[in-house]
Amino acid sequence: MSEAERKFLEVHGLKKSFGTGDTKQDVLRGLDFTVSKGEFCVLLGPSGSGKSTLLNILGGIDSADEGEILINGDKLEDMNEKSLTRYRRKHLGYVFQSYNLIPNLNVKENIETGAYLSDKPLDIDELLKILGLFEHRYKLPNQLSGGQQQRVSIGRAIVKNPDILLCDEPTGALDYTTSKEILQLIEEVNQKYGNTIIMVTHNEAIRRMADHVIKLRDGKIRHDDRNTEKITAAELEW
Amino acid sequence: MEKISFGKRPKNPLHKRVWRDLLRDWKRYLMIFAMLVVTIGFVSGMYVANNSMMTSLNGNAAKFRREDGHFELSRIPEPEVLEAIASGKKADMVKIFRERAYRDAEPEIVDAVREAVEETVREQVRAAITEQVTAAVDAQIAEAGAELPDDMRQEMLSQALETAMEESYDKAVSDALKEAWDSEEYKDALSKAEDKAHKKIDREIDKEYTKLAERYELDRNFDPVPVNVYELFFKNADEHIPDDAAFEGKIRVYNTRKEVDLFDLLSGRAPQNDREIIIDRMHAENAGIQIGDTVKADGAEFEVVGLASFTDYITLYESNTDTMFDALTFDVGMVTDEGFARIGTALHANYAFTYKNKPADLYEEKTLSDHFLKALITQAAAAEKETEIKDYVPAFANLAINFAEDDLGTDMAMSGVILYVLTAVLAFIFAVNISSTLEKEASSIGTLRASGFTKGELLRYYMSAPLLVVILAAVIGNVLGYTVFKDIAVGMYYLSYSLPTYETLWTPEAFIRTTIIPFVLMLAINFVVIVRMLRLSPLKFLRHDLKKTRRKKAVRLPRWRFFRRFRLRVFLQNIPNYLMLFVGINFVMLLLSLVVGLPSTLSYYQDTMPGMMFAKEQVLLTDYKDEDGEIIRTATEGAEPVSMGALEYRTEKYNEEISVYGIAENSRYISTGKTDKPDDMWISTAFAGKYHLNTGDSFTMHEKYENKQYTWHVAGVYSYDAALAVFMPNERFNEIFERDADAFSGYLSDETITDIDEKQIVKRITSDDMIKIANQLDHSIGNYIVYFQYICVIIAAIILYLLTKIIIEKNELPIAMVKILGYEDGEIARLYLLTTAVVVIITELIAMAIGFYAMKLMWEIMMQTLGGYFTFIMKPEGFIKEFALVTAAYLLITVCDFIRIRRIPKVLALKNAE
Repeated sequence: MSEAERKFLEVHGLKKSFGTGDTKQDVLRGLDFTVSKGEFCVLLGPSGSGKSTLLNILGGIDSADEGEILINGDKLEDMNEKSLTRYRRKHLGYVFQSYNLIPNLNVKENIETGAYLSDKPLDIDELLKILGLFEHRYKLPNQLSGGQQQRVSIGRAIVKNPDILLCDEPTGALDYTTSKEILQLIEEVNQKYGNTIIMVTHNEAIRRMADHVIKLRDGKIRHDDRNTEKITAAELEW
Repeated sequence: MEKISFGKRPKNPLHKRVWRDLLRDWKRYLMIFAMLVVTIGFVSGMYVANNSMMTSLNGNAAKFRREDGHFELSRIPEPEVLEAIASGKKADMVKIFRERAYRDAEPEIVDAVREAVEETVREQVRAAITEQVTAAVDAQIAEAGAELPDDMRQEMLSQALETAMEESYDKAVSDALKEAWDSEEYKDALSKAEDKAHKKIDREIDKEYTKLAERYELDRNFDPVPVNVYELFFKNADEHIPDDAAFEGKIRVYNTRKEVDLFDLLSGRAPQNDREIIIDRMHAENAGIQIGDTVKADGAEFEVVGLASFTDYITLYESNTDTMFDALTFDVGMVTDEGFARIGTALHANYAFTYKNKPADLYEEKTLSDHFLKALITQAAAAEKETEIKDYVPAFANLAINFAEDDLGTDMAMSGVILYVLTAVLAFIFAVNISSTLEKEASSIGTLRASGFTKGELLRYYMSAPLLVVILAAVIGNVLGYTVFKDIAVGMYYLSYSLPTYETLWTPEAFIRTTIIPFVLMLAINFVVIVRMLRLSPLKFLRHDLKKTRRKKAVRLPRWRFFRRFRLRVFLQNIPNYLMLFVGINFVMLLLSLVVGLPSTLSYYQDTMPGMMFAKEQVLLTDYKDEDGEIIRTATEGAEPVSMGALEYRTEKYNEEISVYGIAENSRYISTGKTDKPDDMWISTAFAGKYHLNTGDSFTMHEKYENKQYTWHVAGVYSYDAALAVFMPNERFNEIFERDADAFSGYLSDETITDIDEKQIVKRITSDDMIKIANQLDHSIGNYIVYFQYICVIIAAIILYLLTKIIIEKNELPIAMVKILGYEDGEIARLYLLTTAVVVIITELIAMAIGFYAMKLMWEIMMQTLGGYFTFIMKPEGFIKEFALVTAAYLLITVCDFIRIRRIPKVLALKNAE
């Protein structure tokens, strides 16, 4: 792995606070870390630790008060809103806990909304098969289970083959079995397409399937470890 | 890493969603679409119809050789007078008047000088004879040598003088006068006397001319305006239809028109003999006269052989000072010259004129008219026989010619405004709906934005539905406008005006105004609203945090009962929707104020006008004395003399003709208070209302064709809405207008006056005359107004449906949640529907007041440009009707809302919980 690939994502001195005066609350208190290309990185931490805020800043939908973020050498804070949008369009994919699908587009069309953003999207039918949704491709979101909807959401994010896939508690609303299925899917995607994945979760168990685990508490990094004994998603238990 | 397969970039799937959005919410879109189609269709139809008819009217000016104006003289003048008028040159009035006065004075001057000369000659002859006779008598006495006493000498002298005088005085005088008439002295004396008299005449004429010149600006900016003058004689007569005894009308009959003001024969043929007539098509329809029917003009029967549109009577105004045209009881007809002779009423020496050099524009036409009027005034005044101008109306100021065209233009503008207001209201409803959709879809939008969708892409997507609806509505509306609605609009105008045939013209203006402008309005309003919301960051969308400013704390509510506080929360949460509801209901109420208020106003005048008459009959006489100089009296009980005149009240916008009444002392018909000062006058409520005059105010009235003005004070306002009028005692009337002390114009009477010769009666004014404005308006718009009322209810229902739907949709989750909590549908309806009901009812009450006052204001503005006045009246029933109509629409929608609430599934609250 080259130096550039090793430092695919660099975060230096990242700070963020909300409110002013007495109500000011420091959410991120100076974070420094790097994520390598193709790495499956998990951001762990309890509620209010700042992990979702960090993910949003990495995804360019929120801004830091201090510090810098470099993704593949591009400085995020130098970008204006338009450039950020373009950046997200070309390089990032988002998966949320609540799926956020478009209700009156079917499965395939929801994935097409992601494909439309890329000049060179993945083959949708093949992706649908990987997602296990090929049979359901003409169904509307409200005809799907929560797990299926999250698969669509992952499909929509991954179809443009983004450099980084940002997942915010993707299993937060799912049961154990479905959560494992989703994690397996994310693992599969990571292996097949080689995207860098940054996943926010409060599920400690998930750390075991990650390449890289960053644990946050009170806005600070408490642990920044590389997993030497990684297990598959199928082997996970909690 | 495994081999990756790539596919093609798909088309934007959001495009597919646009159609699905339209289908999913088809009821909402269909209603907006239907409203736009009907409005655009109607307005487009109006534009096409009005434009076609206006083009036809403009073209007809040349085609039917329409006059540039007309004037009526008190008698048929000599050909040379008409020639002089046609020359368009001003008569040198000073010179003509001087010459005429000199000529008139000449015999008097000569007589005076001759008398003086003759007297002198006679004195001189008498003295010479006396001297000669005295000398001869004295010589005779001396020759006789006798001394005669003086008395004898005197006697002799007297006898001799008498004899001499008898023998030679006359001859001597005659001889001397003969000599005198040829003498230089006589010529000098005559010349001096003439000079003196001429100077006096000059001074008087200069004084009089200065007055006239000032009034008509005769000495300023004049260029001769050569015109062609055409005889356009007419006779006014009562019109009767033998088959309809109840019908009473008036007809103005012209003889054959060949050169000017021709007519468009819409059916039948022109009259060919003295018993045939063609009449106005509009009046014929109103009076139920058909070709082949017989009409009587002052007793002379004519067979109607054609129905026409006369180019100078597109709108049937009997007089240019009338407030409203009257196609119900006023008719215009044309007969052959022989037929014309059969009508026994007085001939009106009316002449039409056309400019030899056509004006380029209205401004130039006004200038030409002013100059021509100067020429006309001076030439008429300069005529040898007294010739008065009875009427002068240039075409541009002739309501009979222009009113329809102006009305077509105003209606086009008005309907355009209604379309734009309605489009704006619908665009706001769209915008509110979209903003509610954006709130509902905040998560998806946040995800799309976070994934890299640009604001522009989302903006275009959310703008697509309203723009597609407006484009589709415009296309279909225009198709309907050019076909169905055009005919409806044409029908409406043909019901009021005597329009000629027209050819449908396809106007791009209709398309621009009914497509481009609504499209731009829809685009602009939605653009602003959507862009404002999309400015928010993706994160805000993801967090459903769409308020620009976030309240730190919730609004504290009073300690009311739970339901009341809940409803207040619903209200606070939906303020933007309720604001739209307020705007929408106000818009509907304004329209309703017109469509309910207008019939209300008309029926008020139709019902009360007969009661408003001073007396049941007002008889106007030709003169107050008959041919023998005897005062025309009536034995009718209660009849009292009255004087009537007219002056002008001038404003920048309009010169209004005001009736001036001279009333009998302690009049039983017009009981104004007494006025002590000579310039204190009572005025009618209509006059006071239209020009905002109050007791104590001063106002100035002008003579129409003279340089006289009167400044008076309002002594009181007399309750009389039927006309703009000034009241004063008859003695003062006669004094002010320099009439005989015992003069009057006619009689007021509650009984029909039967003992005055009809020849001496110019006009009997009855309540029918007074309500003809209301009747005509009722006839023109009465049929349509009910439909407009229904349309307003439909608009109200649609606006209410669209807005209450948004409110309920916005609250679907809480409604589902309270259902889970165990609230029954009725209770939920009380929570969510009662708030809207209260808002609707309060809005209705406010909107009724706003609509009424706005309409009153618009009415006054409209009245400022019309002659006469009647107040905008909304009867209490009118308000109740307005309220009932909108409430009925709301109740209908409430039923739909209640069903909608019942259909909201409980699981919604659970499924969407994030």
